[in-house]
Amino acid sequence: MLDFSGLELNTSEPVYLQIVGYVKRQIFTGAAEQGNPLPSRRELAAMLKINPNTVQKAVRLMEEEGFVTTPKNSVSILQWSSSVFSEIQKEMTAGFAADFVKHAKENGLTLEEVIHLLRQEWEKGEY
Amino acid sequence: MVEAKGIWYLYDGFEFVLKDLTFSVPDGQIVGVLGANGAGKTTLLKILAGLLPSKEMKNEPVRVLIDGKPVQENYGEIAFVSEAGSWFRDLTPQQFGAFLADFYPHFDMAYYEKLLKFFELEEKPVKTMSKGQKSRVEVAAGVAKRTKYLIMDEPFLGKDMFTRQDFMQLLAGSLTGEETIFITTHEINEIENFIDRALILQNGKLAADIMLDTLRESGHSLTEKMKEVMGYRKDGFTEFLRTGE
Repeated sequence: MLDFSGLELNTSEPVYLQIVGYVKRQIFTGAAEQGNPLPSRRELAAMLKINPNTVQKAVRLMEEEGFVTTPKNSVSILQWSSSVFSEIQKEMTAGFAADFVKHAKENGLTLEEVIHLLRQEWEKGEY
Repeated sequence: MVEAKGIWYLYDGFEFVLKDLTFSVPDGQIVGVLGANGAGKTTLLKILAGLLPSKEMKNEPVRVLIDGKPVQENYGEIAFVSEAGSWFRDLTPQQFGAFLADFYPHFDMAYYEKLLKFFELEEKPVKTMSKGQKSRVEVAAGVAKRTKYLIMDEPFLGKDMFTRQDFMQLLAGSLTGEETIFITTHEINEIENFIDRALILQNGKLAADIMLDTLRESGHSLTEKMKEVMGYRKDGFTEFLRTGE
């Protein structure tokens, strides 16, 4: 079953989008596998202390975006095609870079400085 | 569905506690009724639960409809959980449960017992319990009624942080998604992700009616919005400090 214990809800994004984003991240990083079942609506609602209808809203969106299917009378499972995977990949990487650039600009860094810092950090070999 | 069509409430015949509140709440929605002390939150909840009459002008239609009918015709589908408590002084939690099972058609005894155990409530007359324990009996009884409408006035009172969080898990895990919930609390952080909507009352008026998802999509948080609506002065303390100078 897909593990949701790593999802800490914040209070700035809609809850259903946080759930969808979390699942995408699990797919992107390889933590989630094809065919993994999602917890039941009730379990997830209890775990996250949210309205079961919010879970439902998240599941519906994930179905629409094509990485969750819910067979009749059964639990929802993760299932994605390679094109959906590359969509998720694009979203995750572009979003990451956009956030990074935003923070760098807020701190008044130039592109040259950022590249220099990145290289320094990258070559530290600590990660 | 709950429809409030211009609720007014007059206290003691001269002071308006609620002024022309209008909103409608579809089934399955969880609504936080928020605002400062004295804003009229408890009065509104009592009216929704049918415990206080909404003052009606002569020849005007009923101001609160629950599934199209006046509240008073829907008592069996409404549970009211409040600080004041609905338990009987001399009954033990179990005896109280047996009484409720007779009155409420969907009363869930198994769930009630699970809650009593979770809240570590002893089998003794409620009158001999502490304030916190009484409040737990009240909450257990309220949610175990399994009514379509659950109205909770400060359900976290007398509960420490861990009990509050555990209780929220039990509550969220017991819902089917059909229930409509109204909840007041000052513990905004406990319910911020639980509620779908916030009705913010100020001086008896509906100062804001907010859908949480929409609010967050526009880049705001509930606490921010509350500060804005309630006119919280974030530099109020500096004025206070300066008055001594």
